[in-house]
Amino acid sequence: MNLELPPVPRTSKAQPVQRTLIDQLLDEQKKLQTPVARFSETHHHRKPDLSDHYRTLIPLTKPAQDEQYAFEVSLDRCTGCKACVSACHSLNGLDEDETWRDIGLIHDGDDRAGFQQTITTACHHCGDPACLDGCPVGAYEKEPETGIVRHLDDQCIGCSYCILKCPYDVPKYSKKRGIVRKCDMCHQRLAEGEAPACVQACPTEAIRIVKVPRIPITPLLPSLILGNPSITRPTTRYIGRSIPDRIRAADRDVLTPQHAHWPLILMLTFTQAGIGLLGVAALTSSPHSLALLLTATIIFFCGMAASVLHLGQPLKAWRFFLGLRTSWLSREILTFSMFAPIPCVLIALHLTPDFPFKREISQMTSYSVFPLGLLAVFTSVMIYVDTHRISWRFSLTSTRFFGTLATFAALGSSISDASPFSTGLLIFTVLLKMIPEARILRKADRSDADWSPDVHSAKIQRGPLAKILRARMILPFVALFFAALNPWATLMILLVSEISERQLFFQSVYSPKMPGNFGGTGSH
Amino acid sequence: MNLRFLKQQTGPLTKDLVQEPGQFGLGKVPSRLKPVSTTTSICGYCATGCQLKIHLDEKGEAINLSPQAHYPVNLGMACPKGWQALDPLTSAERGTTPLLRKVGGDPTETSWQDALDLFTKRLKSIKETHGHESVAFLSTGQIPFEEMAFLGCLFKFGMGFLHGDANTRQCMATAVTAYKQSFGFDAPPATYADFELSDVIVLVGANLCIAHPILWQRVMRNKRNPKIIVIDPRSTETAQAATQHIALKPKGDLALLYALAHCILRDERIDPVSIANTEGIESFTSFVADYSPAAVSEKTGLTEAEIESLARTVSDPSLKVSWWWTMGVNQSHEGVRTAQAIINLCLITGNIGKPGTGPNSITGQCNAMGSRLFSNTTSLVGGHEFYNSDHREKVARILEIPADHIPSESSLAYDQIFDAVETGKIKALWIVATNPFHSWIDSGKLSRLREKLDFLVVQDMYWNTETALAADLYLPAASWGEKSGCFINSERRIGTIKPVKKAPGQALSDFRIFRLIADSWGCGDMFKKWTTPEEAFKILRDLTQGRPCDITGIESYQMIDDRGGIQWPFVLGDTSFKPERRLFEDGFFYFENRKAKFLFSPPQELPEPPDVEFPFLLLTGRGTSSQWHTQSRTSKSTVLRKLYPADAYVEIHPSDAKRLGLKNHHPVCIRSRRGEMTAFVYIAPTVQMGQVFIPMHYAALNRLTHPSFDPHSRQPNYKAAAVKLVRIPS
Repeated sequence: MNLELPPVPRTSKAQPVQRTLIDQLLDEQKKLQTPVARFSETHHHRKPDLSDHYRTLIPLTKPAQDEQYAFEVSLDRCTGCKACVSACHSLNGLDEDETWRDIGLIHDGDDRAGFQQTITTACHHCGDPACLDGCPVGAYEKEPETGIVRHLDDQCIGCSYCILKCPYDVPKYSKKRGIVRKCDMCHQRLAEGEAPACVQACPTEAIRIVKVPRIPITPLLPSLILGNPSITRPTTRYIGRSIPDRIRAADRDVLTPQHAHWPLILMLTFTQAGIGLLGVAALTSSPHSLALLLTATIIFFCGMAASVLHLGQPLKAWRFFLGLRTSWLSREILTFSMFAPIPCVLIALHLTPDFPFKREISQMTSYSVFPLGLLAVFTSVMIYVDTHRISWRFSLTSTRFFGTLATFAALGSSISDASPFSTGLLIFTVLLKMIPEARILRKADRSDADWSPDVHSAKIQRGPLAKILRARMILPFVALFFAALNPWATLMILLVSEISERQLFFQSVYSPKMPGNFGGTGSH
Repeated sequence: MNLRFLKQQTGPLTKDLVQEPGQFGLGKVPSRLKPVSTTTSICGYCATGCQLKIHLDEKGEAINLSPQAHYPVNLGMACPKGWQALDPLTSAERGTTPLLRKVGGDPTETSWQDALDLFTKRLKSIKETHGHESVAFLSTGQIPFEEMAFLGCLFKFGMGFLHGDANTRQCMATAVTAYKQSFGFDAPPATYADFELSDVIVLVGANLCIAHPILWQRVMRNKRNPKIIVIDPRSTETAQAATQHIALKPKGDLALLYALAHCILRDERIDPVSIANTEGIESFTSFVADYSPAAVSEKTGLTEAEIESLARTVSDPSLKVSWWWTMGVNQSHEGVRTAQAIINLCLITGNIGKPGTGPNSITGQCNAMGSRLFSNTTSLVGGHEFYNSDHREKVARILEIPADHIPSESSLAYDQIFDAVETGKIKALWIVATNPFHSWIDSGKLSRLREKLDFLVVQDMYWNTETALAADLYLPAASWGEKSGCFINSERRIGTIKPVKKAPGQALSDFRIFRLIADSWGCGDMFKKWTTPEEAFKILRDLTQGRPCDITGIESYQMIDDRGGIQWPFVLGDTSFKPERRLFEDGFFYFENRKAKFLFSPPQELPEPPDVEFPFLLLTGRGTSSQWHTQSRTSKSTVLRKLYPADAYVEIHPSDAKRLGLKNHHPVCIRSRRGEMTAFVYIAPTVQMGQVFIPMHYAALNRLTHPSFDPHSRQPNYKAAAVKLVRIPS
């Protein structure tokens, strides 16, 4: 038995007080001190052990005025061990599920065997960063000396617009913190002459930091994978192995629906529906006007409330004006803030007794609903158009967003003044709005259709999102059926229908990104 | 306009990522993870044996880790499994108390006392009724060898049973047998520096980039502009990174290697000095006379010119040629002869015992090499033989036990143990730190065998592995990182592991569980000196005295750490220590006449060749560097999970896919004579026509594999089963 303790009888039943061998070993198992004290390192101060290893992997001097730092990845040295992802995670102390570096695979098309290559990516620290332009509160900065695109974590309001803006899927939302975080090229390490975590950790020295011209000209990877690099001018260089033309990302055909962004779905549909109804309620006078006005206002403000839920840090959103120069999100916040008082004023006017100039004020307010409302919806449209995502191009997004507004305006007019004309207008608007959506869906009719963002989007809708698509396609007809019986029921059904349309809008979008692994990550 | 005053540059969220110098040679680390001290531990996954520097807080608990910079194995690098080695320890699926399963019921928690009482009562009664061959253990290459030895000695010498084997049977039994038969002892000759000193590196059935990324690092550090030749049916990551890929037909390797020997001997591109250290060259020469390139062209799928050219490359007297193999050779129905065909080539060309040469097996598990010396299963503990009475007496003397407690026969092999369960000879199994219900070949058979067992004990860190879920009694084990002991890596380097985390609940290290069982069984006195792993280490060290694996020069764990690991042999009084040492530099082998043997036999047909009904040959192997074996640990790390496909996939050639109308990412059913599984189609640029590849990490795979075995090593032939693909209508 152990020398520290007297021999212990096997069964403790006779002497219940005595410690058994089990007790002793359970105690020993909880002890860490002794071995640690024995084995721990004592010598503290010295230069980093790996400094000799990475000395040639980082530049000796700071970038010149027309230069910046960039990642350079040697494809013939990278064999897909993925240590860079783990090292980045560990040495930056990221959350358990957070990774700033990603790994993917590209390979030849189906027809022939041959080429396969791992691609490692982090932030490309773009020459013209879309994240920075899109941020409503200026939480991104491009370091003047190094060109590193930094994210100011305490400035971020967690709106996630940068995630939509980045064509490479770089910024990552941290639910726990309510903000976005991303690769900062280990700028704290670089400042001290230490290599970034991924550079330090690559067993085959495939990643290094180089200095590149501020306006990089080398295309990142073939545009078949990555679309148009001129949008953001990414700086990462992939060298060392030429890539065949017919290359594709291994996860290209994975039909994973994108994040739904429920607050945004509700915000967009409700504000657009609300504005449509308000416009009609303000311009017509009928026994239903007040009911319509109140309904419209409630719907509109539900949308406004939902938008706040989208923010991880809503209390910091007051800084939205910092982005007005470049960010459509800032502009949207501004126009909606300008629009928001209108319904309140309209209701107030309804309820207050007569006072001087009431008629003029009332008229002015009523006539301002549509111009300001359309402007506000236009900023909403531009938020998505400005992501340069093909599925969110102007023609499609504006038809959806203005279409919702028009639908509810038509519904409003049939509520306030039911006539064959207003019913006809409603039917016409509802059906017209569905045409572009159906045209995209038809692109997946052929199962061997060549891949394109539209085909991809259509396949997601007809595959994993088929249930929602069915709702989207049936509900409008149900709604129209009720139009003659009870237009208020139509309103409810149409709202649900528009919500499902908007869910498809978000979830079926083809979102450009760096190549992923075969099978994808399973969720977004 | 300067709006900087509106920018919040600092604050609590920013602070989360602020770094400061970590000291201990670490460079900058996140401030909140700054270590108070550090210690080192060998990684607990593969046999590369990377050393990790564990960052500790003031309580001595691990808070982070990074690869150790100047360790002669990994030189500051690690693969993702190593980087994330702490993740699996904190999983909610860890076992925290012993669990008891009544027939048909859910497991219920029980105390250690009751668990031990039950364990002893049941096994003693089975032994009494059915004899000392009626219980067997199945252990692992994943625990320190002090624990392996404790288990082997306790089970055989203390409890008096005969049969035990380890999952190392699935991984390196072939290499063991090949070396033993050819050299007289199981002795992989290489040191990793040989990767950097070769002019020609031949990798046979080895996908280093994925399976051993840190060894591929050593290849990439070779400054001699080496030829890197990969012999593999599949265009693996390594084959694509190599300078030459010999894409032969599956199991064409043995014929190819004989043809190379044929050409080399025919052209007399041989090393007479090296051949002088061997016996049997004449019969070998006449044997390979039948294996001309023309004769093997059909079997290998290679042209005569390709074979001739390869033969010239690997026999160039001005070049140092090293040969390295892993599971492509070991997991074969004729793996031992294939490994020996590589050994034969090295012997005739003189590529052995010199820098940058050698017939080198790269092992799979972190302590497979420890198991080879100390598990007391096939060989008697400490590099001895059960059949040798001198060995038995020596071991009995050092262990201070009666010599008649040591059986004179070695145990049944893994597959034979299962066969004995089937025939009813074995009634109970004790499975330690391995997951055969996922990993064993033709695994569907195991659930049938479960019905035949009177008692199944599983000792593991997780309560819910496929195997643990089948247990009558589950014992919660502490993990790597929660205990101490030693591993031996592929180049015979001994390294230590340390306890840096507290085990959850009542989980105990395997060593402590064995102490409790010895006590409960009533043979505690026999192991009274086995108080700690380090004390046990000293006993085991003394056992090796005079054997080829003599490590009597090692004083303590501390000495192992101070020297950057110590390769065996390291004899007491040896003053010529170097951090990197290879074997056979003197040309002497371990047989009495000191000569190596040529061993060979004609290549056999595939045990289950594809046919009309099952037209595809199923290859298996490692999927990604972030997956380990049955995934019991790697699936517990969120980061690692991001780095591999969640669902099983099957690599298939574009032409086959087209013919069968299969589309990328669509599910397909793969069926063999034994079972079926569903996987997603990956139309891959990697496999040849008529072949498919599925990674071994997905549990359903082994329901398909064909249970054939190498006759010498009893290692399963995982990489060749006939299957068919059935389209699943979308």
